[in-house]
Amino acid sequence: MAHPVDPSPPGHPGGASEGVCPITIFFDGKPISAQPGDTVASALYRCGVRIFSRSFKYHRPRGLLCGSGHCPNCLMTVDGIPNVRTCITRVHDGQKVRHQNATPSLENDWLSVSGFFSWLMPVGFYYKTFTHPLVWRGVEPLIRKVAGLGEVSPEPAADAGSESHPEHGSTGAGPAYAHIFWHTEVAVVGGGPAGLLAALQAARSGGRVVLIDDQPELGGHLRFQGKGRHSGEWVMPDGQDLSGLSGPDLARKMAEQVVKEPRIRVLQDSTCFGLYEGRLLGVLQKLAGGQRTANGSPSAGHSQALERLIYLRTQRLVVATGAYEALPLFENNDLPGVMLRSAAQRLAHLHGVQPGKRAVIVSEQADGGPVAADLKVAGVEIEAVIPRRELVSALGRKHIKGIRTTRGDLACDLLVLEGDRVPDAGLIAQAGGSLRWEEGQRAFLPGEMPPFVTVVGEAAGIQPNPEAPLPGPCSKKTFVCVCEDVTVKDLCDAVQEGFDHIQTLKRYSTVTMGPCQGRMCQLSSIAVCARQTGRAMEQTGTTTSRPPTLPISLGSLAGPRHHPVRRTPLHPCHEALGCTWMDMGDWKRPHHYPAPAAEPGASGHGATPAHTSTSHSHHLPTFVEAEYRAVRERVGIIDVSTLGRLDVRGKDAPKLLDKVYTNRLSDMKLGRVRHAALCDEAGILLDDGTVSRLAEDHYFITTSTGNIEFVQQWLEWWMAGAGWCVHVTNVTGGLAAVNVAGPKARETLAGLTGTSLETAAFPYMNCRQADVGGVPCLMLRIGFVGETGWELHFPAEYGEYLWDLVMKEGQPFGIGAFGVETQRLLRLEKKHVIVGVDTDATSNPMDADMAWVAKLDKEDFIGKAAILRFQARLATGQSERLVGFVMEDDSVPLDGSAVVHGGRPAGRVTSCRFSPSIGRGIGLAWIPSALAHAGRHFSIHVNGQLGQARVTFQPFYDPEGKRLRM
Amino acid sequence: MSFLIPCPNCGERSVYEFRFGAEVKSRPSAGSPSEDWLRYTYVKQNESGVQKEWWYHRMGCRQWFIAVRNTATNEVLSTSLPEEKPGGTSS
Ligand code: FES
Ligand SMILES: [Zn+2]
Repeated sequence: MAHPVDPSPPGHPGGASEGVCPITIFFDGKPISAQPGDTVASALYRCGVRIFSRSFKYHRPRGLLCGSGHCPNCLMTVDGIPNVRTCITRVHDGQKVRHQNATPSLENDWLSVSGFFSWLMPVGFYYKTFTHPLVWRGVEPLIRKVAGLGEVSPEPAADAGSESHPEHGSTGAGPAYAHIFWHTEVAVVGGGPAGLLAALQAARSGGRVVLIDDQPELGGHLRFQGKGRHSGEWVMPDGQDLSGLSGPDLARKMAEQVVKEPRIRVLQDSTCFGLYEGRLLGVLQKLAGGQRTANGSPSAGHSQALERLIYLRTQRLVVATGAYEALPLFENNDLPGVMLRSAAQRLAHLHGVQPGKRAVIVSEQADGGPVAADLKVAGVEIEAVIPRRELVSALGRKHIKGIRTTRGDLACDLLVLEGDRVPDAGLIAQAGGSLRWEEGQRAFLPGEMPPFVTVVGEAAGIQPNPEAPLPGPCSKKTFVCVCEDVTVKDLCDAVQEGFDHIQTLKRYSTVTMGPCQGRMCQLSSIAVCARQTGRAMEQTGTTTSRPPTLPISLGSLAGPRHHPVRRTPLHPCHEALGCTWMDMGDWKRPHHYPAPAAEPGASGHGATPAHTSTSHSHHLPTFVEAEYRAVRERVGIIDVSTLGRLDVRGKDAPKLLDKVYTNRLSDMKLGRVRHAALCDEAGILLDDGTVSRLAEDHYFITTSTGNIEFVQQWLEWWMAGAGWCVHVTNVTGGLAAVNVAGPKARETLAGLTGTSLETAAFPYMNCRQADVGGVPCLMLRIGFVGETGWELHFPAEYGEYLWDLVMKEGQPFGIGAFGVETQRLLRLEKKHVIVGVDTDATSNPMDADMAWVAKLDKEDFIGKAAILRFQARLATGQSERLVGFVMEDDSVPLDGSAVVHGGRPAGRVTSCRFSPSIGRGIGLAWIPSALAHAGRHFSIHVNGQLGQARVTFQPFYDPEGKRLRM
Repeated sequence: MSFLIPCPNCGERSVYEFRFGAEVKSRPSAGSPSEDWLRYTYVKQNESGVQKEWWYHRMGCRQWFIAVRNTATNEVLSTSLPEEKPGGTSS
């Protein structure tokens, strides 16, 4: 179908102002002009579009049905966002609209042949057919193509959106989705007359109010009524009497009052999709291409978002969601041209679009009621008004051509239905309110409500429906559920197959589970179920309503991408050296630095390790080799600011640490450092680090990177309620730290401090508070990498200064920076276990060969009972053990390789590297304790073959630890 | 899950500000028989109903406290700071 460019008549009754600059939107690439105040759907309808979508399973043509955002028929992709309800989405210039679920076009959809194969997808299709995975694999691609709604753009929505909003896109793609948290005293859901009145009343009594409306403008159904006087008394809370106005005027006047009221915040284009625990409302607001709020402005930083999810906590909730019309059941009730009253009225009154030329109205009122008058004003000829009972089927293939009644056929191009009014009770059911069938009004109405919920307006009660809903003929062309293509026949079959409870019927047939979430089909499916089972509506009951009440995008739930990054105070120093970064938790750490250009005799500096072999260099990347040699032969420096640091003070600090750490820490002498580990009550290793005693009542603790929060909470937990005098303070962010290690570490640091670094004055495993280069430092003499070295903790603001100073001072000695990869190799040569790398959530210190961390003669500590049990188990040989190993061949297994014993996997390698000092692969592995004897051989799976490894309990490098103590 | 927890220090806040600790149990004294330790370590009541629990206000006052919560409805009936008494376990 060709789309004429601008066929709209000038001016229309209820429309927006004229003389505003014209709007052009693009439908499948073709320009279409729209008027201000238009929705996407009204603009398309004016240009002759009648088929708005193709149905989910059978690809039947579907047109505008409800016109108010309650059905699945007008879903299209708008500005890259799939499944947008075009009938409540306002137009903006340059908007890009695409059809969905049809190939090549909505008019000619090849897949509509699946309508002829409807036997292919009978009710309960999935359950009956895919009983074997092979069948599913064969059929899946076909079903995925045929069934479904829309397609997700492979581009992030931010890009798709900003491209079509030049005014948004100038600073590049912003976050497509924003999250925001609000609190209010009263939340009113629904912007119709009842909601507006409730909001004004609440504001008048002093409350802060948030009013949530899913339409582009306030006023609800008043907006699209005729010009006649609106019935009823309309006295506003401030005493103003608005009785006697027409619907649209009344809507406008009330909306004005609401917008003027400073205590009311209005959220337009916003769907309240769920009520959750703690009086939390989920509200999704569409921001693209329209005004954002009537008087609430979007918060700074979110201005580029397409959608924003508002977490709204409220003290009280007023449900003013009104009522909607359900689709009556008759044959071909889904044909384009079949329209609910609301859609026809909206087209005519809001957009000045003639919904058709010749209409039949289905109404219980002989004259067709107000809609007949509305259609006449819009120039539509009324062919007939018939009661619902007489309607048999709609005729036509792609669009309605006429109807069949019990009294003969009638020609028409529009069938306007007065559907059953259904109170919109989704939120009510979620609030825990009950729904009961009210025979007088022929509707399900809210019963008991939780005390914070009030229901007003049509949601609380409607003008009685003239008749009970009709279950309709048991036909394959009578659609109960237009979302999922479920027909009356499907439901009849399902009931016959035994799914005769409304809840099982729902799950089996998927009725009420589509995008409309039961709005079109809940009532009629209950009616069908009631008829087929011979039960009353009351007994049949309703299905359970769960959030969301309407589909919402996953992107909006996920929210903006937000990954905090932590940088150490030395970050710029590493950047200047051109390091390669790695992520460790939130932290950025240097993995390695670029290898220096080959320099003959580079390894000629200082001492040479016991074993050197150039033939193995192919096992080590050159950058690791260079960094490694700096530490082993000269002096190296590494940034360890990511270690967690805790300052623990108070007279009961020794008591707390003795209770929580497995070692004894109360008997430490001042100025001493100890390794310490934490276990839980099950004896599982949680963390390890160093503990330094600075004063009787003052300890300094390090934890592994990323574990600081946990360790602090763990310590605080075990002192909760104890009445002890201890303060545990996380000082991680305030301190930079470096480790300077290697045979020339002493010489390097000696020039910067007056504190003697000689072993006699400052032995291994001691700490001193010292001035280094004018910076107050806590120096720990420890040896993670196996060389003489000091860990310096100092105020973060001196980070770069001290790093540069040490680098300058170390230059004559050949200092080199080393990264995490080299540090891991160095510690592996010392057979130091890294908790969390070499251990997991089942590892205890006994099996991990760390028995020394547990002082079992302490009266009590967390995990002692369990560790005693593990100790007893060691003797039984029933456990796995963490052991060191050396490869017997020149293979180097990857971390995670399997240990093989008796042809079966029997353990795993946790860390493995080529060791320059041994000249072979070395590592740590969990193996069965039967194999865990020094010198014993076992196999490791390497590259499809078995490599031989030998067990060792000794460190691989400097087993006696002499170099540490030098 | 979006219920509110009245922190004894900070008042009613979203559950996302908190960290769940564990059911409140009393810890056996040092040297208790192995069975007591096993029960304490591994057996959880997993009450479907009212239960006493440890919670930590991570994004607030950073304090551990005790909450009485109905695990079936997520209604928090009361909260209190642990009793100030030596021994480390509150009952
Ligand atoms: S026609 Fe748009 S949702 Fe029904
Ligand atoms: Zn708090």
